[in-house]
Amino acid sequence: MIFALVSCTSNQEKEHKYHGNFDKIKALEKDSIEYAVKSTDLIENMPLISVETNEVSFFIPERKSKIKAFKCSECHTKSIPELKSKNLTGKKAHDSIKLNHATIEELTCNSCHPSQNLDHLKSNLNAKIDFNQSYKVCAQCHSSEYKDWLGGAHGKRVKGWVNPRISNTCVDCHNPHSPKFESRFPAKLKSRKMEEIR
Amino acid sequence: MKVFIQFFKDSLEEVTSGSKVYHLWMAFLTLIMLIGAFCYYIQVDQGLIVTGMSDSVSWGLYISNFTFLVGIAAAAVMLVLPAYIFKDIDFKQAVLIGEGLAVAALVMCLAFVVVDVGGPANLWHVIPGIGIMNFPDSMLSWDIIVLNGYLFINITIPLYILINVYQNKEPKKSIYLPGVFISVFWAVSIHMVTAFLYQGLQARPFWNTALLGPRFLASAFAAGPALIILILTIINKFTLLKVAEKTINKIAIIVAVAAQINIIMLISELFKEFYFPTHHSISAHYLFFGLEGKTALVPWIWTAITLNVIATVMLTIHKIRTHKKFLLIACAILFIGIWIEKGFGLIVPGFIPGQWGKITEYTPSFIEVGVTLGIWAMGAFIFTVLAKTGIGVELGKLRYQK
Amino acid sequence: MSKEVNKNVENGQNTWHQITLENTDRRSALKTITAGLIAGVGIVSTSCAVFSEDQEKETSQLSWDEFFKKNYKIMSDDERIQTVQRLESLYEKKTGNTINISHQGPLDDVLFGYVFNISKCQGYMDCVNACVEENNQDRDSEMKYISIHQIEKGHGFNFEKAEDEFTNEVPLKNHFYIGTQCFHCENPPCVSVCPTEATWKEKDGIVVVDYDWCIGCRYCSASCPYDGRRFNWGQPHVPEEEVNKNQHYLGNRLRKKGVMEKCTFCIQRARVGQNPSCVDACPTGARKFGNLLDPKSEIRWILENKKVFRLKEDLGTEPKFWYYMD
Repeated sequence: MIFALVSCTSNQEKEHKYHGNFDKIKALEKDSIEYAVKSTDLIENMPLISVETNEVSFFIPERKSKIKAFKCSECHTKSIPELKSKNLTGKKAHDSIKLNHATIEELTCNSCHPSQNLDHLKSNLNAKIDFNQSYKVCAQCHSSEYKDWLGGAHGKRVKGWVNPRISNTCVDCHNPHSPKFESRFPAKLKSRKMEEIR
Repeated sequence: MKVFIQFFKDSLEEVTSGSKVYHLWMAFLTLIMLIGAFCYYIQVDQGLIVTGMSDSVSWGLYISNFTFLVGIAAAAVMLVLPAYIFKDIDFKQAVLIGEGLAVAALVMCLAFVVVDVGGPANLWHVIPGIGIMNFPDSMLSWDIIVLNGYLFINITIPLYILINVYQNKEPKKSIYLPGVFISVFWAVSIHMVTAFLYQGLQARPFWNTALLGPRFLASAFAAGPALIILILTIINKFTLLKVAEKTINKIAIIVAVAAQINIIMLISELFKEFYFPTHHSISAHYLFFGLEGKTALVPWIWTAITLNVIATVMLTIHKIRTHKKFLLIACAILFIGIWIEKGFGLIVPGFIPGQWGKITEYTPSFIEVGVTLGIWAMGAFIFTVLAKTGIGVELGKLRYQK
Repeated sequence: MSKEVNKNVENGQNTWHQITLENTDRRSALKTITAGLIAGVGIVSTSCAVFSEDQEKETSQLSWDEFFKKNYKIMSDDERIQTVQRLESLYEKKTGNTINISHQGPLDDVLFGYVFNISKCQGYMDCVNACVEENNQDRDSEMKYISIHQIEKGHGFNFEKAEDEFTNEVPLKNHFYIGTQCFHCENPPCVSVCPTEATWKEKDGIVVVDYDWCIGCRYCSASCPYDGRRFNWGQPHVPEEEVNKNQHYLGNRLRKKGVMEKCTFCIQRARVGQNPSCVDACPTGARKFGNLLDPKSEIRWILENKKVFRLKEDLGTEPKFWYYMD
């Protein structure tokens, strides 16, 4: 009698038992799901560029508006070899850019920037690549990271997990001239002890 | 109804009068209880942070004592069954003392649970009907049911017997015998269920063995009756109730057999852990040999095993077991050895190392020790009160006067 | 003859009647006195507070209602709104600030999953900090839901060789980093063992705790193989200016001493389309979160295209937290 009373008051929902997570996922998945929130609601009018391949389609943040001194040709009329030569008069900009990306046998300024057209990027075979699609340049050498990035295993979402997918592009995290992340100290834990030390 | 009030009055008079030794004993227990109550007040005020427990070792002294005392409560009643089978001892006596001890031990168990939870004011959440009880999934819910049911049985049966003897009536076997039988089988279940609390956790490989339940029973039936032998000896010395020598000897045999089985199970566990050590043996390694320089529990477990082995040997040898003094020594060291083994030898090492390999050692704080002693004192107090009343009725001292 | 039998039976019944009515009277007298004293002292001390006359009455009424409310899981929608409002009022009366406690339920067709890229984690611990701030965790005991383990390469995934409290520059040479937290299992052992059903798995897969229903027995913490659960041993404190005011009843609302808490996949964020704070805080993109039931989601792509694994797979808990490497 006690047992009956007690089991009646137990409120565990007797949900269907699946054999492992994948069985449950396959049983319950839906092809197109409408969410109440869209990821575009979370980004406050950030301009987006779309990326489309046969398998995936998603968005990345627009880039050109974020480059401070775009278009390059508004200031620079000379080609890169000329800019680099020591005979030039006038101020030298961008000399703080140290190329720390692979070796001189693999990459130089010209590998990615066309000499005569500073408003675009270029591929190995001199195809024009827009600054907004700079990932195409990186993908030439970093094909596995590119594949992973297209699928979602590499890189970061801008905001939110809901649709549409908005992912960061390569240069949003990696400085193309010096892409390696530097060593640093771990973030100091927020705690009372830490506050007292400060 | 009148009978009950008179009974209460008479027993109150009985428990408040006695020899100087008796009064000193009760005063001592009261002092310890008050210290315990004060420590508990501090704990309720500041939270469980005043104990030595942490997220790594989240159960400590309180649950260790709880586990041990469930065994005592179970075993206290186990002496009832042989008393009935052997038929040569005053059955009623055995029932009264045994079930009185069971009540005291159970009250201590419930007290240890109450002091261990973080929100004692919320304990009503567990009551089916006004709260929710996660039955049958949670073994803790089973434990709550069986422990309280056992307490109920162990209060009503002796009460029935006493109230009848009090009125010079013969208690009817047809009424109390079924209850006694139920309580004997229920005793096994309370300890198995308590063992299952730990046995079912796949997260703790030290506990997740098939032998845990049987091991609990074996050690309980060694420690419980050992305590009863000590108590009966005290009763023989300080009260007018005389318990026959052969009663104590028969109980001693039970203790001996249970202690032997306990040792066999220990050997079995040691073999499983150390014959081909796996990652799952690491808690046992910490317990018996220490790990990475952390050896806090090593002296405890080896002391416990030594005491248990010596006691078992003493109890096995007929000449030693029948010698009164040696019997008492053997019972005392067996009781202590099993207390250590169930507490520091079982509960604490289950948590060390933690789920990701971290070793965090545990030492009970003074508050914890204070509350624990307070609850033990309360248990002794309750048992003394019950025993004095029961003995008073048995000896004819307490009788209903109209 | 039959009369005698009847009388005996009657006597027996009377005695039983007496027993069943009086069984707690005498024997438990002392137990109840002591327990009552202790409980009384405890209750009085925990409910004592200093307020003004008017406020005191209202606050007492709110606290009274809060004490006797049901388990959130079985509350009706109205009752949930009421408790959330009571909690918001109590907070305002106590501190003068407003908070917003959501009772947002699970979204349809959503089952949350999480993936962690071990190659990318560099041990920065930005995730640990973001979590502590987002979820109003106790600053005194340095409570953190997320643990980052630093393991020397060559040992493999041998957690006995892991360091959990490191302060060296990261990434340390020849070491890799792996983070753990509540894995939100599909077969959660913590849910099975809780005696009051204070913790349960929601429809969207998040394992949650009703902090006001938990009695603090810590059985769940013993049963979790992944060190997912945290207990408030003392009274938790969060500095007033750091309190995250966007709260969820089952998530980051302020807890009290003596109750369990854990990672909730930032339920207050996930249910409105945002990522958990740890996911957003990670600079290297090592953490991924999403809806397992959307076959076109990132997380599904990772599960189907990368070599993923879970920890302690043999325990049968079916965690919804996977690991992979580049």
